[in-house]
Amino acid sequence: MSENISRRDFLKLATVGAATTAVLTGCGPASRYIKREPYMEMPEYTYNGLSTYYATTCRECAAGCGLIVRTMQGRAIKVEGNPNHPVNLGKTCPRGQITLQGLYNPNRVRGPLKHARGEGLYDTNFQDAPPNLSWDEAVQVVADALQASAGVAFLLGTAPDHLFDLSSELANSIGAAAPIRFGASSIFEARATLSKATEDLFGQAAMPFFDIGNSDLVLSFGANFLETWLSPVAYSRAYAQMRRGNPKIRGYFIQFESRMSQTAAKADEWIPIHPGTEGLVVAAIGRLVAEAKGGEMPVAFETVDLNTVISEAGVRLETLEHIAQLVVEAFTPIAVPGGGALGLSNGLQIAEAILAFNVLNDNVGKPGGVSLSPLSPNQDVYHSPASAQEMTDFIGRMNSGEIKTLFIHGINPVFELPTSLGFAEALANVETVISFATFPDETAFASDYVFPDHHGLESWGYQRVTTGVTQSVLSGAQPVVSPNYDTRATADVLLAASQVLPFKDEMEFLQSKFAALVGQADGSFSAPEINTFTAYFQQHGGWWKTTSDSVSPSAASALGTNLTVEPAQFAGEGEFFFLPFISPTLGEAGANKPWLQELPDPTTTVMWNTWVEINPETAHELGIENDDVVKIISEAGEVEASVYLYPAIHPEVIAMPFGQGHTAYGRYAQGRGANPANLLGAHFNEAGDLAFAGMKVKVEKTGRKQSLSRLESRIGVYGEGMGEEHP
Amino acid sequence: MSLSIDLNNMGAKGAIADEATGKWGMTIDQDLCTGCQACVAACAMENNLSHVGEEDAGYGRTQHWIRIERFWEGEYPEVKVKGGFQPMLCQQCGHAPCEPVCPVFATPHSNAEQLNLQVYNRCVGTRYCANNCPYQVRSFNWRDYHINPFHANEIDGQLVFPLHNQFNPDVTVRRRGVMEKCTFCIQRIHKAQDKAKSEGREVEDGEFNTACAQACPANAITFGRVDDPETLVSQLAQQERGYQHLEELNTLPRITYLKEG
Repeated sequence: MSENISRRDFLKLATVGAATTAVLTGCGPASRYIKREPYMEMPEYTYNGLSTYYATTCRECAAGCGLIVRTMQGRAIKVEGNPNHPVNLGKTCPRGQITLQGLYNPNRVRGPLKHARGEGLYDTNFQDAPPNLSWDEAVQVVADALQASAGVAFLLGTAPDHLFDLSSELANSIGAAAPIRFGASSIFEARATLSKATEDLFGQAAMPFFDIGNSDLVLSFGANFLETWLSPVAYSRAYAQMRRGNPKIRGYFIQFESRMSQTAAKADEWIPIHPGTEGLVVAAIGRLVAEAKGGEMPVAFETVDLNTVISEAGVRLETLEHIAQLVVEAFTPIAVPGGGALGLSNGLQIAEAILAFNVLNDNVGKPGGVSLSPLSPNQDVYHSPASAQEMTDFIGRMNSGEIKTLFIHGINPVFELPTSLGFAEALANVETVISFATFPDETAFASDYVFPDHHGLESWGYQRVTTGVTQSVLSGAQPVVSPNYDTRATADVLLAASQVLPFKDEMEFLQSKFAALVGQADGSFSAPEINTFTAYFQQHGGWWKTTSDSVSPSAASALGTNLTVEPAQFAGEGEFFFLPFISPTLGEAGANKPWLQELPDPTTTVMWNTWVEINPETAHELGIENDDVVKIISEAGEVEASVYLYPAIHPEVIAMPFGQGHTAYGRYAQGRGANPANLLGAHFNEAGDLAFAGMKVKVEKTGRKQSLSRLESRIGVYGEGMGEEHP
Repeated sequence: MSLSIDLNNMGAKGAIADEATGKWGMTIDQDLCTGCQACVAACAMENNLSHVGEEDAGYGRTQHWIRIERFWEGEYPEVKVKGGFQPMLCQQCGHAPCEPVCPVFATPHSNAEQLNLQVYNRCVGTRYCANNCPYQVRSFNWRDYHINPFHANEIDGQLVFPLHNQFNPDVTVRRRGVMEKCTFCIQRIHKAQDKAKSEGREVEDGEFNTACAQACPANAITFGRVDDPETLVSQLAQQERGYQHLEELNTLPRITYLKEG
């Protein structure tokens, strides 16, 4: 335990510690659950009016923040950050706070069931369908499916990691193809591109770590690091450190992005460049910086033609020169590539140009610069989630009939994947689809069987921290409440059904993955044998190194490669560039939590719906007003949404949040808003990530109006929002 | 005939206070606030706030005890968020406009804590206080949101509300017709006080935190004792960047904002 632990933290850990002794005394994992009991029959360690706190890991995204959940009489009451966890140091994002409304959501899959594909899992009054199988029958179904091992495929989300490890081992031992992991965040963060660029420039595929906190000048190219990007809580803390951590220097922050995101709203300068020119801009600034520094011009920036950049990107030469000047004067400038810049036809070039820019500024492996995130304690190689191209290949295997049984966990592909990839149609060519969904989502509707996993707060497991901190972290999850419904851990189902892996249950598997850490002295705790380790692991909420483990890559040759950066290519026809972005409040799977729906979007303040952002000048020319419903048409499809006149967006760009537009997923999500993924065509960048920001679209008026619920006043104190017709 | 009323005895002390020195205070750094809504979410989970649904939200009936305001300034491309994101919550005024207008003394001033209290079981829903609050931070329960059958499952003929499992037992659940607002997490204050009292000492700064300050990923919100000049919150409030909202109304807010830049 660290020395600067506060009194309150100690009390928390002490209570948690009391609870973990059950494992030490050799009881099985099941006895670790607290039951929800009437007040007259309380478990002996629960006192009336006193809470019990459990450390676990948030599963709302893949970042792996540590939580301490306050429980009372077996109910989870409040989520708080784990103050000792390196990723979030006691803090949480809104999605982490409201994870409880997932746990206690009125629409959950209540037990194993079989149903006709497409049939709903709740009725028109949103009453959940009753389970119609026993778990023994369910395990038998899985066992039968696993017999035809060559035709078995696993499609997993980006969390939790222990299930990915287990299915990898299982697939390996039965001779099935390795599991594939994907999710909407993989699309919008373009992780595969980031990792490929790192490999190309530094000779090592890894997730780079951008040390924004120790930088005094941040140039962000569409990186929404204060919203959902990679590890938002860790990067928000880094942002605060950049601004106020050094009493002498307030870090300066410039964001290049054609639409002002929540992150860009915090920038000192927001530069709305022409879509698709991020690479040109960074190369131009790189050239100017190299010129100012003197010496030989690096090959990487040799061929940049400033005049082309100025005309293509729509920025003035003075702006570029001013930024280059800031870079030269800064101690530790850093450039950060975001999903919006990488999800373009030439996203890989852009990522490489941005990394090369960091090399030019000599920040690689230094504080305030770029390094490679360390691997997690029980990991050998960095494993990036699948790119959209790999996902498309997977869908091709489904279509060819190669996949007989598809297991789906932790992802809702029918909703999250662009319709143009054809996942829903490909399901028709798979004989058996088994979903392990906790919630009645679109994919569960489209499956033959639903064998619900516990909610994340009812589950064991671990999550590897892939980025956000320089330490190597394995974040631990344990149940904070007993399961509310007749759900079962997917790991247990797979183990019971396969009988090929040498583990009795999920806990035994987890312990096998901890074995290498027992006795290690350089971590947050050290334990001499496995049961003690497991108990401490639960109490602390994971195991992490106490010192930085980040890798300083070799960047020697990075500036020697010739970077040819051109403007991106856009698919489809239309007068607007289309920029979908992941909703900062909902994330990819938040739409079924009513309080997340009622959180106003930070920049538009819209609640409970989807909007489309259009520049007011452009809208005026088209005769479009606030709340007009417009139809947006791309080569891949069309969606309708209400207009929000957004003053901070490039006149040729329209933007839409991703997260709504569900056709299932419970009473709070279904039939609400529109899904911009339906507009995305199957176009990829060189690293195989979807060029989601590389579409052009048409906008048509529908003549209808549908008011958006906003927190901001539409009228204004002096009636200025009433429009011309209401003077 | 002359009638003299001592407002101190009427529970409306705020109306005549020259200066208020309170125990608890807060600073909000607008340079750090990223507008992420974690405070709003944490507040909702801690204080059993109801979600009102799309339609009522559109009518401005949301139950946000804390909200993030965003003001546009300028026109494209020189547009920016004026002054940064601005979390707005009850300022716990030392001289609170909401207090003297309540006909049933449901919004008294706490002498001990120097906070603006809200007594739910006294409130008759005149909404005078909300009308008089210059910060617009009071929210009214227009319906019984929590027990709307839409949130329920029908099990054996009974309505079961799974979301109710999450309710914080330390905080009242409010019914229709009642005004509510930020309490500075008074349940946490009381808990800390009880504990300190049982140990025969004063509550220390940093011993507990409000839900919003606890969650804030950027550490923009700092809560603590303002009666001690050595505490972090007092030090921050002394910064040159500090200002108080609508100071000119002499409301003596307990929250100091720190300007961007």
